[in-house]
Formats: sequence, structure tokens, C-alpha cells
Amino acid sequence: MVPKPFVDELRQIVGKANVLDSAVNLQLYQYDAYLEERRPDAVVFVSSTDEVAGVVRVCNKYDVPFVPRGGGTNLSGGTIPFKGGVVIEMIRMNRILEVDRANLRARVQPGLFNLELGTALAPLGYQYLPDPASQKAATLGGNVAENSGGPHCFKYGVTTNHVLGLTVVLPDGEVAKIGGKAADTPGYDLTGTFVGSEGTLGICTEVVVRIVRLAEGVKTMLAIYDSIEEGSETVSAIVAAGMIPATLEMMDQLVIKAVEESIHCGLPLDCATVLIIEVDGLMDDLEAQTQAIVDLCKAHGAREVRVAKEDAERALLWAGRRGAFGAVARITPSYLVCDGTVPRTALPKVLRRVAEVSKKYNLLIPNVFHAGDGNLHPLILFDWRDADQKARVMKAGMEILQLCVEMGGTISGEHGVGLEKIDAMSLVFTEADIRSQVRVKQAFDPKNLANPGKMFPLPEEVRRAA
Amino acid sequence: MQPDLAGLRGQLEKIVGVDGVGADPAVTTRLAVGGLVPGLCVRPGTQEEVSQVLATCAAANAAVIPRGGGTAMGLGNRPSRADVIVQLDRLDRIVEFDAANLCVTVEAGVKLAGLQKMLAEKKEILPLDPPADSRVTAGGLVATNASGPSRLLYGTARDWVLGMRVALPDGERIHCGGKVIKNVSGYDMNKLFIGSLGTLGIVTEVTFKLLPAPATRAGVVGLFPELSQATAAVATILESVLLPEALDLLDPEAVALLAPRLGLEAPAGAYGLAVALAGSAATVERQARDFSALFRDRGGRTFPLPDGKTVLAWDTIRNVFGLLPVPPATRVLCKISVPIGRTGALLASAGALGRRHGMHATVMAHAGSGVVWACYLLGPKAPPDEVLGDALEGLRREAEAAEGSLILQDAPASLKARMDVWGKPGEGFGVMRRLKAEFDPRGLCNPGRFLGGL
Repeated sequence: MVPKPFVDELRQIVGKANVLDSAVNLQLYQYDAYLEERRPDAVVFVSSTDEVAGVVRVCNKYDVPFVPRGGGTNLSGGTIPFKGGVVIEMIRMNRILEVDRANLRARVQPGLFNLELGTALAPLGYQYLPDPASQKAATLGGNVAENSGGPHCFKYGVTTNHVLGLTVVLPDGEVAKIGGKAADTPGYDLTGTFVGSEGTLGICTEVVVRIVRLAEGVKTMLAIYDSIEEGSETVSAIVAAGMIPATLEMMDQLVIKAVEESIHCGLPLDCATVLIIEVDGLMDDLEAQTQAIVDLCKAHGAREVRVAKEDAERALLWAGRRGAFGAVARITPSYLVCDGTVPRTALPKVLRRVAEVSKKYNLLIPNVFHAGDGNLHPLILFDWRDADQKARVMKAGMEILQLCVEMGGTISGEHGVGLEKIDAMSLVFTEADIRSQVRVKQAFDPKNLANPGKMFPLPEEVRRAA
Repeated sequence: MQPDLAGLRGQLEKIVGVDGVGADPAVTTRLAVGGLVPGLCVRPGTQEEVSQVLATCAAANAAVIPRGGGTAMGLGNRPSRADVIVQLDRLDRIVEFDAANLCVTVEAGVKLAGLQKMLAEKKEILPLDPPADSRVTAGGLVATNASGPSRLLYGTARDWVLGMRVALPDGERIHCGGKVIKNVSGYDMNKLFIGSLGTLGIVTEVTFKLLPAPATRAGVVGLFPELSQATAAVATILESVLLPEALDLLDPEAVALLAPRLGLEAPAGAYGLAVALAGSAATVERQARDFSALFRDRGGRTFPLPDGKTVLAWDTIRNVFGLLPVPPATRVLCKISVPIGRTGALLASAGALGRRHGMHATVMAHAGSGVVWACYLLGPKAPPDEVLGDALEGLRREAEAAEGSLILQDAPASLKARMDVWGKPGEGFGVMRRLKAEFDPRGLCNPGRFLGGL
């Protein structure tokens, strides 16, 4: 519970109607796309940097924790107010402040949906490259907090490679512009440190991103395989041939079936896996690249390779891929999305081992993944009403992460640590590594008010263990 | 408390051997930083030894300054203390080259040019091309965030470092990131250390992401009578779908230095636009054609770089200041960063500053990245430090008014005594200070050299 004067002060800043504290309202903000829940003490709708700073200052004054929230699509519990306190709802700060073509930058507010930026830029001939599959509902502020990836990261990098500057409200309420339209700002790279910090270092209220011209040409292919092994081996073969496609996406049979039933994008139901491969760039060699890839797919056992002939066909393929997580919900009421990453060449092996985990725990685990980056998303299906199943799911999830680490990979490629993977951090980091990360947290947030209880054990515990 | 250097010397010798510690003034004088001569120089042979050296120095309250290839020792303010130079040249091992997964892990002292040579055998590249790459080390590249012309297409160290190992100021060893290209496990600690100039610890190992080597390379140079024609061409290029690897704008002095070496028939006063092209033969040929046409439309003449010598030509271009016939001590090298669209204006201002003050100025810019490099020779007619300092502060104000910055990449100590190398710290400096305090509470790593005395 938070004291009444605290809530009154919040209302003075954002107006009475913009602070929610009734039980019914709070219930709507106690979950995200992960499996845990925790009710906040208040929800505040903000519409400016000043308001965010004001709210954070009040939180600081009363030592109340706060968690920024955008689209609520987080898959690791990053948005759940684990220690209670205030959820700061950023969704109204959703304007594009500036499209600066001369400097190849855009300045946007954090509540803007990723897709909306793309939609606004496309008619001008530009794009913002990071494109998480959830882009319809995921905000750019959330993308910044999670350092989001997406299908196009293999060639173009993740969010951090495209964010050049931020306006942040630090956990004590100070507002700072860090980085900006110019490169190489003197001093530590606070922007790079902030991106991916999962709301634990403060709240960004403005984002300066790189925009680039739309590619002159794009070719999208669908390669169909009767064996998942052959599909994943093709991925390495393409890279070994010196090509970096814009995307190399893979879905297995269970996912294909679910996608086909919900989106009807023409995927064959009897195959083991499909690869969605896209090449882009200058027109001059796209045909040749496409042909080379088609040949490689066939040489590695693809039974058929379709090349999208028109935009509509391409869009349909992508609708299928982007709709995969949603479509899988047709199979069971719940699922846990794993998000491990391995070196690309380890994919065939890790997929075999995931199949073993599936058998061992008697759980269905369909797979959809960014094969080019070695980032896999096994979806562990279950029914949340069955406590025994849920326990098995958590164990299976942890085992899959362990597999990834064993193969030289890591515990999260793009969904974040949040609540879900606090325990898994020790799979990849030593105590000294984690202590050094806690030093960063202490420098930004000495009172531990910004999204506390995420990413690593609480600072005081880490310190005590030291 | 003054550190007991004689005692420290004995302790360091126990870690790295007697030959690994230098105290001879003839050696240490050559390693002076900002005029400050260190008491000792230590050459650890392993990453573990780096960490032991740091722990030992910390216990003795001795300030340490890391040194790689020595190409950036002129960068930064005069350190407040310089007790021990930690020389990293013996950390020269390739830890792992995983060609199939396009990544390589190297120790901090590995030289960039040598690394590229090894990668080339497997037809791969690390697309970072700072000047002096035969001397630049992996650790130095990362610690100083060095970059070159091809940052236009590929970005900078922050886009290519997947992981690193760092010895913290108290000797604790940590690793950041990993070897996979998507990694959000914990904070992105790589970013904190990239460009931190050794003030938070010493980078001992770096894992880089790699690219397949382009099948074809070519280059063209456009020469323009007027700067406005060249900058108009830049704007057109940046609005186009073309994907040059590099796009360097050269002032007439830079053109004059490069012309004989690149085979350009350059009229006096011409501005140059050098374009690097990399990719498949089809895209490279098409772009060479398009750039030539585009230059012609803007009133320029096009010279193709000689076939098969593109790499060599670019090596010359990015090292253009090395062609100036003077020792580094008699020059001032400025790096100006501004939003891309302001590059031409700052290039012009930087050149005008030289003319106004009777200095020979050579200016070039990574025109698609907003980075301008100006090199001033301090000849007999050069103004006194206070005049030069004021003039450069004026140029800095112009950069800052455009939301940019100006740093002195290299300058004589007397100028640095009058003018801060980095400029005034901006917003968020409080956090930077607290980061420094968390990682190096006693201020022993490269003290005073970085922004705001960090």
C-alpha cells in the first residue's frame, strides 16, 4: 500500500482522472505476456517528459518503486510491478516529433508503436529497421528497454544499433538528454548502457533513431523441408557461401499447422519445417542471390522453394510468421516462450536436444525461430489450470536455457531477463560479472526504485554475498 | 599518499618476471602521457597477469595507464597521475576464430591489420577501419572507440563487439556479452566499456562479429570546383538507394596530398568526394556508373581508383594526415561530430579557421556519418596557444550549437593546458561520475584524462 498523500501528489501532477487506484483498474495492470502477476498500488497515465519527471520525483520522495509500461507485450515479466508501487503508463506519449531526413534521424515518443513508425516512414521512402514480431502492439519505449530484436536483425542489428540518443528521466527525477543526432558523444556511452536495461535505470521519454532508405529491391522465399535438420543446415550453408540475407526465419510443423489454420497463408501442412528467407538491397544482384539461395536450399534437401512473385504474396508470408505466437494459442490455453540463443552452427544439435526435453517432460514444444541469429523460441505448451504441468514447463524451460549455454549461447536473445530468468543469469555470468552489473544499477538508481526485483537478485543481496 | 614505487616494482616483478617491469628513465620517458613520465612500465603476458597487476597497483595506491599500440596516447587531458604504464602488447593471442559463426575472439594486444590478414584467409572481415591499423590494437580500438571511413555502411565498435573480458581497477576479472549476435542477458556492459578510455578498467579480450568479405571492391573520386557542389552531391547520395561503403569529403589540401598518390588530375582548390564500393560485381559496377553520373550532374569530374588497388588507395585516404611532413608534436588534430547534414558546414569552418590564423589546415570528413577531422600544422606563423585555444573554442561552439561536439584528438600539452580536450560535460554527467565512482572509487585508472576529469 502507498500512503494517501503520495497518491494526492501524483494527482496534482497528472490530474485526477489520470491516476487509477481502484482494485478493478489495478487488476488490469498486474500482468504482461509472461506468466506471473503482481498488482500495482497505482497506475499513472503520463503525457510529457515533465509529467514523468514529476511522478518519478514523487516516487523518489516517498521511496515508492515504479515501473514504466508501454504495450505490455513483455515476455519475461519485465512490466510486472514485482515490488508493487506505481505503473507509469507511457502509451499516450505516442507522437512522432520529427522526421529529419537531412540527418537520417527521427525523434519519437516512447509510447509509439513500432509499426506506426514504419507506416509513417514508408511513404517517404524510409524505414526504421528493428522489427520485433510484436511490432503492432510493442512500443518503441519498450523496444528500447528490452533492446528488442526481430526477424531483420541478422543483417541489420538490434534496437541498440539504431538508437542514437535518448531523453531519460533518471530514478531521482533528473531529466537528461544523452547521445543525440550526432555520433560519438564524448563520455561514457550512456545511451548504449540504457538500451536493454529493462526499465531498471530510468524511463526514456524521447528516442532519437536512425532511419534509412527503403531497400531498392526485396525478394522473399519460402523453402519447404521434410526434415528439420536439413532446414537448419541450409541456414549455415547460406552464410558459409558469403551471403547475409535480411532474414532467415524458421518454423516447425506444429507452428506451421497453427499458423495455417489461423492465417491461411498457404503453408504446406505435411512438411517438417519451412524457412522464410529474404534478401534485400540493390536490384542488380537480387535475382542472382535469390537463385543461389534457391539452389542451396535444394542442394540441402528442400522439396520445394517458392519465390514470392508480388508484394501481396510476400506480405502473406510475413503475416504468417508474425502471427506465429498468436496462432499457437489455438493449441493450448498457455505457453511459455523460451528465448535462447546459440551460435548458428549449433542449431541442428540444439533442436534435437529440445525434442528430447519435450519427450522427457511430456510437453508439446513447437519451435519458431530466427535461425540466422541462432535465436530460438521453443514454445512450451500447457494448460495454466494444471499446476503439475506448469511445474514441468518451468523445469523444461530452464533445461532448454542450459542447453543453449552449453553450446556457447546465452539465456536471452531478445525477450529480456525480467522476472523469468533471474536464476538463469548465473548460468552465463559469474558472481563478479553480476556484481559489476549491479554497480551500474547503483550508479543510476542508488535507491533501487526503478523496476526493482528484475534482472538480478536485489543489489543488497549481491553485495552481501560479495 | 605517494605510492612506494620501489616496493611496487618488486611486487610486479613477482607477477610478470624481472624483464616484464621497466623503470629505466630511458624507457619510461618515451612512455610519457601528456608530459607526465611514469615511474614504472609493466608488460603482463596473460589476462590473469593484467588482473594481478591491477590488484597489486590498487593495493599500493598507484595510478595505472593502459597502453596498446600507442596510437591514441595523445588522446585525453593530462592525467592527474601516471605511476604505472600497463603495456598490453604481449596479449597478442587469437583466442578463437569461429569462421562458420562469423566471430573471432582476440586478446587486447592483437593488432588490427594482422587480424584482418588472418580473417582474409577465410574470406571474412572485421569492418572497422581506423587509421594506423598496423599499430592499432583490438583493446585500443575498443577503449578509444576508433573508427574510419567505412563506418558509413558498417557503424562503429559498438556495432561489432559481441563480448569482452575486462580486468576491473581492483583486479577483479569480468566478462560482458558473449559470442552470439543477439544477447540481452543482463545490461549491455560492452557499451559501457567501449570508448571509456580505460577509466573503468582494462579490456583484456574482445569478441567481434564478422562479415563475409565482399566479392568485389572499387572506388571513385569526384572532384568539384566548389564545396557547395560536393555537399549537394553528398545530399543526393544520402537520399538515394545507393549503398556506398564510405563517402569521404576532402578539402583542397587533402585533395592536394592525395592526388599524386591516387592518380588524380586535381586542379588547385578542388574539393573531393571519395567513394568506396563493396559487394557483388553487379552492384559495384552499377554504383560506380551511378556515382560517376551523379558527380557529373553536380559539376564534378570522376576518377576511378586504380583497379585492384582500391584497398591500398583507401589505406592512403584514411591515413591522409600521416602524409603531412611533420612530427605529431607540432600539430593539432580535431575530431568534430555533428548531425550528418551539417558536415559540409563544419568542414568549411574548420578550413577557414586555419586560413584565418595562418596555419596550414587539412580537413576531411566522413560525410555520411557527420564526422569531420581537421589537422592544423603549428608552423612558425601559428598563433600563440591562447589565440588558437579561443579559435578552436569558437569552432567547438559551432559544433555544439548543432548538437555536436569537438574533441582534441591530439595536441601539444601547452594547448591542452588552456583548452579542455573533451569540452564541457553535458547532461547525464552525474551518472558518469557515479559510474566512475562505482568501478574505480579511488580514481586509479587513467585518472583525469577523460571527460570532466573522469
